[in-house]
Amino acid sequence: MIRLDSVSYAYPHTGKPALTDLSLSVGKGQCVMVTGPSGAGKTTLCLASAGILAHEFGGKKEGAVTIDGRDVKNYKDLSDIASNLGIVFDDPEAQLIFTTVEEELLSALERRGFQVDEIEDRLRVIMEMTKLTTLKDRAPHTLSGGQKQRLVLAVTLALGTGILILDEPTSELDEHGTNGILEILKGLKAQGRTILIVEHKFLRMRELVDTLVVMEDGRIMASGAPDEVIRDPGVQKIVVPDFSGIRERTRNTGETVIPELLILVKGISHTYGEDIHALYDIDLTISSGEFIAIVGENGSGKTTLIKHFNGLLKATGGTVTVKGKDASTTTITELARDVGLVFQNPDHMFFADTVREEVAFGVDNLGIPDRDAVIDHALTRVRLTHAKDLYPRWLSRGERQRLAIACVLAMKPAVIVLDEPTTGLDGKEAREVMEVLKELQLAGHTVIIITHSREIARDCADRVITMENGKIISDVMTPGVLS
Amino acid sequence: MTEILQYVQRDGFFHRLAPLTKILFVIIVGTMSIVSTSIPFLVSVIIALLIIAFIAGLHREVLRQFFLIAVMSVILIVITVITLPGGTTFFVIGGIIPITTGGLLIGIIMTLRFAVLITAIQLFVLSTQPRDLVHTLERMKVPVDYTLMFVIALRFIPTLQIEGLRIHEAQLSRGYNPGSGVGGKIRSIAPVMVPLVSNSLARSNVLGLTIDLRGYRTKVRTPIRERHLNGLDYAVIVMLVVVAMAFTYSTFNGLV
Repeated sequence: MIRLDSVSYAYPHTGKPALTDLSLSVGKGQCVMVTGPSGAGKTTLCLASAGILAHEFGGKKEGAVTIDGRDVKNYKDLSDIASNLGIVFDDPEAQLIFTTVEEELLSALERRGFQVDEIEDRLRVIMEMTKLTTLKDRAPHTLSGGQKQRLVLAVTLALGTGILILDEPTSELDEHGTNGILEILKGLKAQGRTILIVEHKFLRMRELVDTLVVMEDGRIMASGAPDEVIRDPGVQKIVVPDFSGIRERTRNTGETVIPELLILVKGISHTYGEDIHALYDIDLTISSGEFIAIVGENGSGKTTLIKHFNGLLKATGGTVTVKGKDASTTTITELARDVGLVFQNPDHMFFADTVREEVAFGVDNLGIPDRDAVIDHALTRVRLTHAKDLYPRWLSRGERQRLAIACVLAMKPAVIVLDEPTTGLDGKEAREVMEVLKELQLAGHTVIIITHSREIARDCADRVITMENGKIISDVMTPGVLS
Repeated sequence: MTEILQYVQRDGFFHRLAPLTKILFVIIVGTMSIVSTSIPFLVSVIIALLIIAFIAGLHREVLRQFFLIAVMSVILIVITVITLPGGTTFFVIGGIIPITTGGLLIGIIMTLRFAVLITAIQLFVLSTQPRDLVHTLERMKVPVDYTLMFVIALRFIPTLQIEGLRIHEAQLSRGYNPGSGVGGKIRSIAPVMVPLVSNSLARSNVLGLTIDLRGYRTKVRTPIRERHLNGLDYAVIVMLVVVAMAFTYSTFNGLV
């Protein structure tokens, strides 16, 4: 159904090719999963396979792409291709144009020449299938990341094309949400649809995948039946996240360190607006040297909780004390000296021209002495010394994530809090980030992460806090850790 | 977060009107406010619009924007009074800037026109689904690219508001303290606007592809859940025409 023959491609004004001599065939009814490090060319492969590179992009193109036996150049335009093939891009926000869920679906369906009854039928079936019926009147900006991903998938599915290309359709989803998408994809495969999916969650998607393709530097590094492909240890590192051994690492200094109480949370609640209760009566103590994972489904209150640690949110009830200071009366700038917060999307913070200047921003804001040495030290810690003069947005996703950590690390906070630090990273990059965080813990920092990954919580954290509906439902030491 | 210019799901009478009627409403009300220089008339139009908003169940959303209108009004009046002196001088600030009756009058008229236009457009946008608007403008032969530009500009207001807030929070977490007031706002431009614009530009590529892939720019469309003119529309159109005629007559005879 999709065939790429010796495809090479370089974006305009770039020397480095994004795809090099790449050949791939996706047969009818097959599910091919593409994975690999960020910057490997996975999204470019999606654009090439959908005929978008041929029709919409400049740059240097070689090789041939056929969809349904027809060269993509012979399709009139993208709308013509879209009658055979549906594509879901990795940024759901950019694919939602109208103001309600139902309107979004209806607006796409009415442009396909379907009869009125057929449109109504498809609308009803697809909303039930993707569990959007109860959200039909909601505006896109009020949906969670996972709900947005479900909606853009629903719009593409509603059009009923035989071929689907999905670029990281579960990146913002928790385990429950990912399973929901998996069930939908299984149903589609059973109907005989052809699926090309870019994903990092191989283990979750394993039962769906017929062919696994691993990319690196614009080339196919390995391709074939999943079980055979992952036998290669190099491939396994990328495809199957392995965090084993990280938690057990210790630095034996011979000194006995007495834990110091850093954050004390007493009975806090938080209500957004008048009636959206995000947190209920949370009690928590966090001490120096801890490595804590906060887990829970989307909307369970994890991000709301950590925003109280550096004063971005003020509790509507109860108190938060950070190193003896009342967080409700201390400025965010003052709290930033003690608690550094790294947001889920590193692109929300970058504005400087070089990596070094980006790190310098926080250092200068707090007037930290030995500026240059501190910046160098932070960049060394996150293994980004080689990139210090580059423009931050040119870095790969994994490198940008590590740069975000460096920005906060250079401010020398006792506590470093990270919201989903491994989102969008492959197994190898995710391990690198977790190793950096472990080193920070061993250097004396307290590390708190929000994660959807059970493996990360189990293999990296010493303590796991589970949240549900704004409450802490369990707070336990990871098996094997002495409390 | 206060939502700016976003469609709200209601069952008010304004929602039941076809977009064409509402476009006519905005054009007539807007034209009258631009042509008229009568303060009592412009005040009456604002009161009428507020009554319509109340009957349509949109008063809460409309009144919420009155703070913005008030701030803009003060700025407009100050600029006009300073730059357009005329008539009797009340007093002179610092021996240079005269505060005059003419300047004040023009400032107040401009402000009232501004309030009428904003409120009328707001009533239209709050009660019209973008899909219906696209269909109506398509029938009026407005090029689809312009229609989509308008719809997308409105749709992304809350997204940019939310993203701006997140970026601001990320920079605050890095110890950034631009200070409050106008100076603070100016200082915070680069750390907030650069990521906001960069992220939006990155997004525009996918948005453009989505528009083409979903065929929004094609002429093909199955007529489904269309908004046709109904009895209420005809009644409102007749009323609008009568008001427009009365206004034209009054203007030419110097009554307004």
